[in-house]
Amino acid sequence: MLSGWLFNVCFFLSVLAARTVALHAEQFDEELTLRPLRDGKLAARFSFTTLLKGVAPRNPERLDEDDDSQHYTLFPLALGQILREYAVTEMHLTLNAGNWAYDRWGYPDDLGVSTGAELWAWMGEGGPVTVDDRWKGLRNALAGLFCASLGSLDEQRTTSPALTFQPEGSLPRWNASHQLRHATLPSEHVCTENLTPFLKLLPCKARSGVAMLLNPHRLFDADWHGLGVHVRYLDAGVEVRLAFQAVFDPVRLSSDKRRDWSLRSVFDRTIDRACPVARSSEVRVELLPDSAYAITPDPSEIDGNRATYAVKDRTEPLDVAMRWPGEEAFQYPIEAAPLSPLSVRRTLKGSSQSDAQLSVVIRNNLPVQVRSSYLETMPWLVEFYLHTLHADIGGVPRDDLVSVISYTAPVPHTRPTLFQAILTLPPKTTLHLTMDVTKTFLRYTEHPPDAQRGWDLPPAVLIPFDFGEDPIQNHTTSPGTSAKYARPARPRRIYTSVLLVDLATPDFSMPYNVIIMSCTLIALIFGSVFNLLTRKFVLVRLDGDSAEQKPDVK
Amino acid sequence: MDHSSRPLVDPAKPFFESNHTRRSIIASYWLVVLLAVPLWWTTTSIDRLSLPTSRVLAQQDKQLVFPVHVCLSTQESSLAGPTATLARVVQQLLDAEREMQERSGVHIHTDLDCDRDVYEVEVLSGTNQPTIEGKRLRFEIDETQVMSAMRLTDTLLTLLAPYVTLRSNNHQTERVLKYAPRYRLALSLLNEDATSEHSIKAWDVQGHLSKHISPILDRLSVLHNFTVESQIQFHAPLAFEPVTLQGSGQEVHGLTQEHLTVFVNSAEWTLSSSVSNDPVIHFILFVPSAKHTPLHILDAAGQPVASSAFILPQWGGIVVHNPNSAISESTVLVPSELDLMFATFRHQLMTLLGVPELSKNIQSNQSLTDWQIDALLRRRAIENAQGSKDTLRSIVQLVRQIENMPVGHDVKDDVQGSLTALEQTYAAASSSLHASIERSKEAITLASRAFFNPGMLALLYFPAEHKYAVYTPLFGSIAAPLLAAVIRELMAWRRTRHGAQQAGSKDAKEKVD
Repeated sequence: MLSGWLFNVCFFLSVLAARTVALHAEQFDEELTLRPLRDGKLAARFSFTTLLKGVAPRNPERLDEDDDSQHYTLFPLALGQILREYAVTEMHLTLNAGNWAYDRWGYPDDLGVSTGAELWAWMGEGGPVTVDDRWKGLRNALAGLFCASLGSLDEQRTTSPALTFQPEGSLPRWNASHQLRHATLPSEHVCTENLTPFLKLLPCKARSGVAMLLNPHRLFDADWHGLGVHVRYLDAGVEVRLAFQAVFDPVRLSSDKRRDWSLRSVFDRTIDRACPVARSSEVRVELLPDSAYAITPDPSEIDGNRATYAVKDRTEPLDVAMRWPGEEAFQYPIEAAPLSPLSVRRTLKGSSQSDAQLSVVIRNNLPVQVRSSYLETMPWLVEFYLHTLHADIGGVPRDDLVSVISYTAPVPHTRPTLFQAILTLPPKTTLHLTMDVTKTFLRYTEHPPDAQRGWDLPPAVLIPFDFGEDPIQNHTTSPGTSAKYARPARPRRIYTSVLLVDLATPDFSMPYNVIIMSCTLIALIFGSVFNLLTRKFVLVRLDGDSAEQKPDVK
Repeated sequence: MDHSSRPLVDPAKPFFESNHTRRSIIASYWLVVLLAVPLWWTTTSIDRLSLPTSRVLAQQDKQLVFPVHVCLSTQESSLAGPTATLARVVQQLLDAEREMQERSGVHIHTDLDCDRDVYEVEVLSGTNQPTIEGKRLRFEIDETQVMSAMRLTDTLLTLLAPYVTLRSNNHQTERVLKYAPRYRLALSLLNEDATSEHSIKAWDVQGHLSKHISPILDRLSVLHNFTVESQIQFHAPLAFEPVTLQGSGQEVHGLTQEHLTVFVNSAEWTLSSSVSNDPVIHFILFVPSAKHTPLHILDAAGQPVASSAFILPQWGGIVVHNPNSAISESTVLVPSELDLMFATFRHQLMTLLGVPELSKNIQSNQSLTDWQIDALLRRRAIENAQGSKDTLRSIVQLVRQIENMPVGHDVKDDVQGSLTALEQTYAAASSSLHASIERSKEAITLASRAFFNPGMLALLYFPAEHKYAVYTPLFGSIAAPLLAAVIRELMAWRRTRHGAQQAGSKDAKEKVD
């Protein structure tokens, strides 16, 4: 009797404990950051963070054993299955459309703004399945999950630039080390078919909370838009962050060329109800201190230049609006200093179908010297001539500014190029980098269906990491300026624009013409040789003995 | 010019010009062509290995039958005589049902020899219902021999051949999932709308899984492996509007029989699993929104039925949970409610996996008896054997019908391996059930791998006409002078022979003249 009673008590206690664990082991936070930009545009960043507490990524050495059962409340099961199946420690997938204008918009809130698709993952070594096999499985599984052609991120596009893409979380301490795999597909275009599966991974889908604003009609009409999936391992557990960024143009949307915006005018929706399972749900608006604006409704909290609205506290639908009452029509700023430390322009010059010249123009906008890493990951379609790499400033050769060059030559049809270097950029100057490239001649079957369009080449990545270390610069610039740029929280990536290369494209009806023509030629040559060999030759007397005369050819 | 001044070589005939040389040249051309034909043939022909067709066809008429040995024993000395008689009568009664036994793939034999590992019936005196302990059935008799024998025969048939007896559910065979070595059990708690007041935000899934489902999974581990996973969704709308009924005092919402067939809203519910090819068994706990509460299942006449659960054949089970209005504030499920739901899930899982139901008048202390497991094993072995037979026959027929289909070594090896495993399944049926099921698993795996071999489709879409279209411009124009040369030489040869004959006959004529 007593034991039965004890059993009951223990059972209920254990049930209670399990329930509290289930309630607190996962937490979901959502936030929307709105940032009015200098050129009248509005940057919006949705961020949905799910933290699975007390869970470590799967150790690849245990891939041949049965995995633990996956029981999730808020964490997306479809993504969790992929991460466990391929033992991925950290993963970043971004699908973007458009060029991020660093000069006018500054750094993005989420750094991954490479045009097209970009996928990189840190995975542990060891175990029964190799890193490359798991990388292949990962990109195919993600391709299926997000309806994107990530399956084409194959060995011909995969590199391992570990210095540029450092893990954002921590890596578990296993026996074997971790490896990076990185690939880009600039021709991939993000659209509604990628957003729909993205929304299905959210606990509240697009039916409540901040995600209600994710209206595909408006998002894909934006000047720049992109979605991202970021998985990392923190000491607290595994964190999945789903993000959507877009840059809207309220001036274009408004009838009278004003930059006033509201959630209703930008997204065509308002936040009607809060997501019931979100721990926090906030809308943040960054305010421009130097202009006369009005913001409605009253924010829950104002912290410096940032107004915060807590969606959960509100009973009526939330429609944040910002107006500039004093402005008749928005005047675009004509001349304004760039907002990013570096401005980069990258082009491919030359009209020939076999050779071209890669030209990168980098301007250091800061009054201090900047050291920056420079990364090119090119598919084998173009090959660099490294000895033609030249740097100059205003026509003066300065090859000494390029140092620590590492280069992995491409293997045609198999492996891409990897080129890394450290650039030293003097203050307020423009560095020109040029390098000759040769375009490969593709096999007939390697051309895409739209071969005449050309091939998109991935963006280069720059990371300014060292500001004003040069003693001369420290001497000439004021200590305040130096300190301002000296220690950024973490080095931030700058993606250049993508390139389009035109390769020699065959006439695709050629094979049949070639078959017919070469057959005709062979038949002609064969016929004449054969006739020569088997023809009957005789001497013909011309002095008239008709009796001896014979026809010359039989 | 006289004969003496002539050189030995006739200048009218160039030294390189002779019939012999010319004919050798033509012959050597033809020789090259003829020698090249086998090379061309081997490089362009399709690799078609011969399949063991006769062995496959020989398998078609075989039936897998498991001999089952049941022994009767008793501890009570007074029952020794009646037990022996009982065994004899039961055997007679079973023999009368021979056809039915064969249909379910068993051949039951009863005797008194209990020294081997067999099903044992312990005969006791009493009036209680039969009980099962492991492989032993306690059977109590008190009435006449004939009645007991009929009762025992009936019980044995229900236990050993449960799938075709009249008692079992006829729909069961269509509900059961196809055999797979590994299943994924996906439990989903779906809230129609989590922002409404009746919503469940958490459930103790692990505790109830280990309490209700895991014992079953452990018992079934001889046959299947399982991966279990669970998720909660907070917005899972229905794709249709339930009908509204005016019940006693309050509005009641109902799911008609048609609604049940389209209940799963696969466009909006993220249920599918993308990482593996294992079949998924879904279990869904659906919590309707306040707008649709209470939600009941309606019968054909449109009246609410007592049960709130239903099975989608070969897909999974669904339980509709109407939150109790008294405790509607709670956003978690109380253990007693969850116990009920997981008991339903367990029953649905057993139905979907084809576990036979234990008839109600047989008592057992286990949730799943050895008799049930063995019946399931026999059923799966028979299904697998039948499946591999059908697949092998399809492969053979397909290869015979489509002449362009290549058959490589891997396909041939798989077919042969499957055949060998199938033959071993039959051979092992009389000795060991477990060996037999293992071999039958192997047979069906190999047969499906052979059937879905990607290499068999390689040349299917490249017909011979295309080849000839490419060859003709070359071979046609080359064949013309080759043939012409042969014909010309033949005609020249005939003319010279004719000329020689004519000349010969002329000479003879002249001689005669």
